[in-house]
Amino acid sequence: MKNAKESNGKSIKWGLVASYIFLFLLVLAYLGPLLMLVNTALKTMPEFMKNATGITTSFNFSNFADAWEKANFPQYIWNSIIYTFTATFIYVITAVFVAFPISRKYVKFSTPLLTLFVIALFLPPALIPQFRLILGLGLYNNPIGYIMLFLVNPIGIIILVNYIKTLPLELDEAAALEGCGYLRFVWSIVLPLIRPAVATVVVLHAIGIWNEIIAPTIYLTNKDYYPITRGLIVFQGVYGSNWPTLAAAVLMLTFPMLVLFLVLQRQIVSGLTAGAVKG
Amino acid sequence: MNYHFGRGKSRLTPYLLLLPGIAFYFIISLGPSLATSIFSLTDTTGLKGATINWIGLDNYKEFLFMGQASKDNFDALGRTLIFSVFVTTIQFLFGLVTAVILNNPKIRARNFFRTLFFMPVILGAVIQGLIWSLFLFPLGGPMAKLFEFFGLRSEFLGGSPTEAFIWVIIIQIWANMGITMMIFLSGLQTIPSEMYEAAEMDGANNWQVFKNVTWPLLTPSVNTNLLLNIIGSLQAWQLFLVLIGYRNGTQVLGYLIYAVGFGQTSGSVTSSFRQGYAAAASMVLFVLVLVIGLSVQTFLRRREERIMG
Repeated sequence: MKNAKESNGKSIKWGLVASYIFLFLLVLAYLGPLLMLVNTALKTMPEFMKNATGITTSFNFSNFADAWEKANFPQYIWNSIIYTFTATFIYVITAVFVAFPISRKYVKFSTPLLTLFVIALFLPPALIPQFRLILGLGLYNNPIGYIMLFLVNPIGIIILVNYIKTLPLELDEAAALEGCGYLRFVWSIVLPLIRPAVATVVVLHAIGIWNEIIAPTIYLTNKDYYPITRGLIVFQGVYGSNWPTLAAAVLMLTFPMLVLFLVLQRQIVSGLTAGAVKG
Repeated sequence: MNYHFGRGKSRLTPYLLLLPGIAFYFIISLGPSLATSIFSLTDTTGLKGATINWIGLDNYKEFLFMGQASKDNFDALGRTLIFSVFVTTIQFLFGLVTAVILNNPKIRARNFFRTLFFMPVILGAVIQGLIWSLFLFPLGGPMAKLFEFFGLRSEFLGGSPTEAFIWVIIIQIWANMGITMMIFLSGLQTIPSEMYEAAEMDGANNWQVFKNVTWPLLTPSVNTNLLLNIIGSLQAWQLFLVLIGYRNGTQVLGYLIYAVGFGQTSGSVTSSFRQGYAAAASMVLFVLVLVIGLSVQTFLRRREERIMG
């Protein structure tokens, strides 16, 4: 017994050393690119050209002002906020009213309907017909058409349906007995009770819209409508060789995401992992 | 289930409120998705108002059996598979090892590591791509310095197609390993600590504990991660768009569909807006994902039955 414990203790120690070495190498791979970004954003162009990796000595903060001014960021960020907020808001409200009756089987064909949302994940990409649809509706290169693309998210429905199943049925009966109507019940009793699931879905959906790059490339041609992702690509096209300014631009967009991530870490991780898992 | 909120007219309320969400789904997503198969039989172009002709299986014939173009298509298909195999395997292994390490209570600062490794997931393809373009700056960037130290030279993303392709694989794994890790971590947390204690009582070493306790009990997370990574990597191409653009010798199917359908190309490859043809290519990708996805799922389910009994 004693012997076994000793040998065990020894092997764990070696395991710990190996673990830390592995983690250290990973930290280099994850932190390295970020540090390079920060370092470059604080350099002048000549300093960068002379030695791209050297630690900055000039602390050239004017890169940020430069990038902000030249990149038309306020406009792009505002567009991204509008798209993300509007589409997420409309989607989540409609999704709750789809998920609740399906979960409770209050509408006919609840089970086949749910199946339709599940198989969505295996269907062919809708890219081409979707484009024809938006074109046909006259909503190509139009913010409304662009927002329409993001009013759907089958994974979110599945997450909500599963969560609503955990609410006791007696709740519905009691509320109905008190004379509470369907709309008011879902809106002011169910919605607050499923807040964790709603938060997960909101985060999953909003981050997806915010980071989307393919849809703006296909659907938006007018610069005034670009979201920040497309704007950043345009900026790279023009200032691609001026890495200090470009790095400042990228950093200005990375930083708020990182802060948001640290504040809402629990919801974000559960949102993105749940989204992935159900996918 | 019994509906409690009234009868007659008011019984229609849930249907009315359900309608917008269902309509969005049918019109914007499900309908177009199914219509892909119909468009694949036409010569649709990207132009508004142009006539659309029914051309049967011509798009498929052209895609699969027409000289150089088909050869390019099969190359792209092969690359899609290679991309998927490498991304899936490496991301799976790294995610698993990292999760097992970070599940060990003796490791310090576990939250820090977890947060750091998950972080790229929230940044999205554009920022991931730009951060790495800078890190791989060929004229004295950090990776170039490291290569120089070992007496190597590389143009990285601007180098040979194979070289650029390998870097996209690496960056794809860097960007998404956090999700795999988190799924494994939540799987590990469901394994009761008594199982480990019992194994330790039996004098099992670390490897035996992993092989006989952790690995079999982790089966659900293993299945989720494998399926997820395989399907995801077969369809992924955003990082190709941001990092190298549409370049000969690097295209995967997803990017090919986009380039053929929307004519946004760069470099030596040109194409017009051939959306019927792009729809046919979408169907090829769909069949590929379906066949691989279903066979893997069948295999995993049999394995799970064998292990879990």
